[in-house]
Amino acid sequence: MIETTRTIPRLISTLIAALCFASCFSSCGGIQNSINPAGPNAENISRLWWLMFIVCSIVFVFVMIALLLALRKRTTEAADRVPMLEPSEESERRRRNVVISFTTITVIVLFVFLIASYSSGRSLRLNDPTKNGLSIELTGHQWWWEVRYQDVDASNIFTTANEIHIPVGVPVMFSLRGADVIHSFWVPNLAGKKDLIPGKISTIWLQADKPGVYRGQCAEYCGLQHAKMALWVVAEPQEQFNAWRQNQTQQAMAAASDTQKRGQQIFFSTTCVMCHAINGTPAGSNIGPNLTHVGSRQMIGAATLVNTRDHLAQWIRDSQTFKPGNRMPQNNLSDADLQALVEYLQSLK
Amino acid sequence: MSHEKEQKNISHEEAQKTQNEVPTGKPSKSTITDEELAEAMRQEREELEKTWARPTGVWGWFTDTDHKAIAKRYIVTAFVFFLLGGLEAALMRIQLAFPENHFLNPDRYNQVFTVHGTTMMFLFAVPIMTAMGIYFVPLMIGARDVAFPRLNVYGYFVYLIGGLLLYTGFFLNTGPDAGWFAYVPLSGPAYSPGKRVDIWAQMITFTEISALVGAVIVIGTAFKMRAPGMSLNRIPLFVWAQIVTAFMIIFAMPAVMLASSFLASDRLLDTHFFNPAEGGDAILYQHLFWFFGHPEVYIIFIPALGFISPIIITFARRKIFGYVPLVLSLISTGFIGFGLWVHHMFATPIPQMGQSFFTAASMMIAIPSGVQIFCWIATLWGSKLNIKTPLLFVLGFFAIFVLGGLTGLMLASVPLDLQIHDTFFVVAHLHYVLIGGSVFPLFGAFYYWFPKWTGRMLSERAGHLNFWLMFIGFNLVFFPMHQLGLNGMPRRVYTYLPETGWGTLNLIASIGAFVLASGVLVFIVNAVWALRAGVIAGDNPWGADSLEWSIPSPPPNYNFHNIPVVQGRYPIWQATTDAPIVRGLNTKKRETLVTSVMDAQPELRFDIPGPSIWPLMVALATAVTFIAGIFTPWAFLVGAILAGITLTCWFFADPNYENKHARETGEKSEKVAPRAELQPKEV
Amino acid sequence: MSTRSVIDISGLPHHEFDTYDPVWWGNNLLLAIETSMFAILIATYFYLRQNFALWPPPVAQLTATLDPLPQLTYGTLNTLLLVLSCGPMILTDKAARQGNRGVCQIGLVICVLCGLGAVVLRGFEFSAVYFRWDSNAYGSVVWFMLGMHMLHLLVLTTESVLLAIWIFTREFDMKHRVDIVTVAVYWYWVTAIWVLLYAIIYFVPRLG
Repeated sequence: MIETTRTIPRLISTLIAALCFASCFSSCGGIQNSINPAGPNAENISRLWWLMFIVCSIVFVFVMIALLLALRKRTTEAADRVPMLEPSEESERRRRNVVISFTTITVIVLFVFLIASYSSGRSLRLNDPTKNGLSIELTGHQWWWEVRYQDVDASNIFTTANEIHIPVGVPVMFSLRGADVIHSFWVPNLAGKKDLIPGKISTIWLQADKPGVYRGQCAEYCGLQHAKMALWVVAEPQEQFNAWRQNQTQQAMAAASDTQKRGQQIFFSTTCVMCHAINGTPAGSNIGPNLTHVGSRQMIGAATLVNTRDHLAQWIRDSQTFKPGNRMPQNNLSDADLQALVEYLQSLK
Repeated sequence: MSHEKEQKNISHEEAQKTQNEVPTGKPSKSTITDEELAEAMRQEREELEKTWARPTGVWGWFTDTDHKAIAKRYIVTAFVFFLLGGLEAALMRIQLAFPENHFLNPDRYNQVFTVHGTTMMFLFAVPIMTAMGIYFVPLMIGARDVAFPRLNVYGYFVYLIGGLLLYTGFFLNTGPDAGWFAYVPLSGPAYSPGKRVDIWAQMITFTEISALVGAVIVIGTAFKMRAPGMSLNRIPLFVWAQIVTAFMIIFAMPAVMLASSFLASDRLLDTHFFNPAEGGDAILYQHLFWFFGHPEVYIIFIPALGFISPIIITFARRKIFGYVPLVLSLISTGFIGFGLWVHHMFATPIPQMGQSFFTAASMMIAIPSGVQIFCWIATLWGSKLNIKTPLLFVLGFFAIFVLGGLTGLMLASVPLDLQIHDTFFVVAHLHYVLIGGSVFPLFGAFYYWFPKWTGRMLSERAGHLNFWLMFIGFNLVFFPMHQLGLNGMPRRVYTYLPETGWGTLNLIASIGAFVLASGVLVFIVNAVWALRAGVIAGDNPWGADSLEWSIPSPPPNYNFHNIPVVQGRYPIWQATTDAPIVRGLNTKKRETLVTSVMDAQPELRFDIPGPSIWPLMVALATAVTFIAGIFTPWAFLVGAILAGITLTCWFFADPNYENKHARETGEKSEKVAPRAELQPKEV
Repeated sequence: MSTRSVIDISGLPHHEFDTYDPVWWGNNLLLAIETSMFAILIATYFYLRQNFALWPPPVAQLTATLDPLPQLTYGTLNTLLLVLSCGPMILTDKAARQGNRGVCQIGLVICVLCGLGAVVLRGFEFSAVYFRWDSNAYGSVVWFMLGMHMLHLLVLTTESVLLAIWIFTREFDMKHRVDIVTVAVYWYWVTAIWVLLYAIIYFVPRLG
């Protein structure tokens, strides 16, 4: 009558296997990984994650064992057994006590989580990065990032795109705005995310403690090319950062060779100039990314392609194959013209 | 009180009535012998069949008001949408199986994920849960139909039109592509030109009307039409879950009604609710949407909790442990569910203080959920269990839902949420709670109640196969997604670069999707096979306790030949042979017994309206208004006039008036035979 | 021969006023839906209010006399009319309960006229709001509030017209007496909501 079926143990073992499977993946690295923190902000959150992960895993296993034990007695009897409508007082009392104590444990666990979460949130806010940090204004466009470095000294203000350099160990304050729709700024190794909302300004700070390159990606669905709206954060030692900033504040290099001059001419005679700015030249449109130092960037197309000659040429000719729907039109340039244009852009270090 | 008096002016006794007086007619007590009873019932059966006969053919399809027929249509329609939504999920999984895959282009992908979310939430989950209520609430409380059967028909047609609108758009490449949440400004006139988002907004209107109508019907039925003896503390847990859900719909749906109306008027009439340039506000939309959107999760999930209790009671063959805590948990979940919406918005610039409140509220909701899980385990504990497919699905629910609930706690924490919000971690979480919390119990419910719907049993063997395929497939799809989210993969991306290292886990998930789909396929095959060749079920194949099992499978059109008198929380198990029986409903016209809200004391013999074409006509007028409204604001004027005309017809095609003939002829026989009660069968 | 005890309900009425009748529940649940809709609409009003320094926003005009505040005349008249119309509605309500057909007929006619008057006045109210619906968020939300309430006025008036037609041309049966009492509840509700909306639309801007 009472038979031990194997279904339920199987159910439980599947789950435990799945859990093990998960935990062996959890420790892998990566440049866009929230549990591979590289700064205090992400570090803090990842500690909270591990606390909750471990406690929740214990709770889960515990409940599953309880469920498993509840399934010990089986029957295949027909449905006409006398139903148990009046269980003994004793057994009901025991059940009541167990349910009450489990509920109490639940409440305690929740309090632990609440306090941990609150204190974690407090330390995310406590740090006041405005004191001696760096201040960056980040604007989300469909589908790229406009980065504007702020400074008390107006000559140190400059605009770039999709690549943010920050000095290691220095808190960086971002003020975020959405130019068109809502985007969300998220560099998992450094901090949590924050939305960029048209008509509002939001702020977030982050800090990198280890030099390195960290990838960030738009985390709020923003239309057709939401998937390819990424950026890189390059954390480097202060001197290196200073050198980079020094270079960025300069106007674009003048075209040196004939090819570059021809390239510049093409830039001005085709649609390029209608959207892109190159400081130090008449090109001043703000619709697309600022190209003053495009040659110094590691990626193009909002961190979609590595910035090589070939990629740049393909991108200019037909960016739609890489990022369909982006706002940049196709350009039917002759090969020679294209090469000249690429030559010029690559020279803008 | 005679009908003749009613028809003329006012009877003398009624004229005496004042506001506070109780009905003059009182139920009286008498006795009847078994032979008389059997004889009376034999006489009445034919009459009942005739009175409650359903119109047939195409005309019947448009006019039928039988709650079981409407609910079955709802269920089949919603299930078809479930399959379509599943198909879209499969398309997405194929696209994401490999990095930089070109199976779908971004435009198509964005439509697919938007339509997938919209379908599963609005066209599958909410309607199918309402439908289960519309089918079973009257059967579980001993009523002959729902309180407002014609409104019910209207609700169904409006829902069907909404679904067809969405899919017509989708197949014409005009499917909405701004996400199921349609955040402004992306969904606004500037960034989503064309008709795609308009279709979404109007589809929301249709489905919300349908859900609201369903909620009113469920509350009206469950409050006023319970069999004598079914006081509040004896209402089946299934019905409690439906009541709580219906109240949540009533208070939550108006928010999305406003959100989608504001959006539609911003798009079509140039208003500025969400335009920051003119003082509008993008975050306002998010508040409105999530004030609905979070309770929505519970609107989908709470009815499923109502499936679990009866299944556990039946297969443990034991009274439920903790009826009162279970009911209170449902109710408190309903309340707390309205205090969590901001946890969808932690990444927006809103005050920190408020965020802490919403963290606390979001965590608090784990308490009633925990209490329910513990009570169910306590019920199972020590009982001799008969592990049939329905119970198997409930056990699957425990495993999946507990895990989903725990990841929910993580999302409730503001700092942690900032990392995992809008990543695949959330995709994993929401599918664990919605598929685990709703779809698994729903499939359990399908196996459990299929015999009641069709009179035939589904195959147990195929049921076990179905369960294991779904359970393994489900975990294979969604478990790796937790890791993907932690590894930085955002939601709603049509592709990803190979360098991200997300390929392996995505491939595993995509393979899992096909295992899961094959499980659903097994169910369909099982259902089709069972319809033809399944074992004949009989009235009560599981030996269950609630009233729906006391009548034939499938139930007759009038559900209960006579309204039962309920003796306890488990009417069939607690039925005694000397229980009183209710008699006196007219067999010549559609009547059901109305009782008091608290104690279910008999109050009225309520007229149930019969078949009518007008609900469909009003639904069509509604459709003209909102669909043509996408193209011209004048449609609202035309539609209002059409709706006015059709509603007038509905009003004047009064059931009493139509039944006048039947009523007059019925008048004579009304006092002749005492009607008898079908005692709940002994099992 | 065994016998069974019987609860004979054949003496029960078919309809009864207030909480006895499922129709009362249906109506009040629909009103609950609409009440939560208006509550959220009012919340929206105050939410949008935060985005403006001045509410309604000032208008840059050459003529300095321009005042963008909503003009009180029609709104106040409408409020008075609706509050006063509750008088005949209360009488109709009572008459329906007592079964006094004549009073019901007169009362309903007066109420229908009041309803029509309110709809006409509402038309003027739109013009008393300085901004159009497409001028700014203030205009949008105020028009929406006025419009949603007007929708209810229209439905309410139509419903009263239909009931009036019924009791003039057909029987004054219990079902329709219950309907009249139900419409009365709706009428009081529409009035109450309007008093609230009136206070908000016309006086919140004046409070600054």
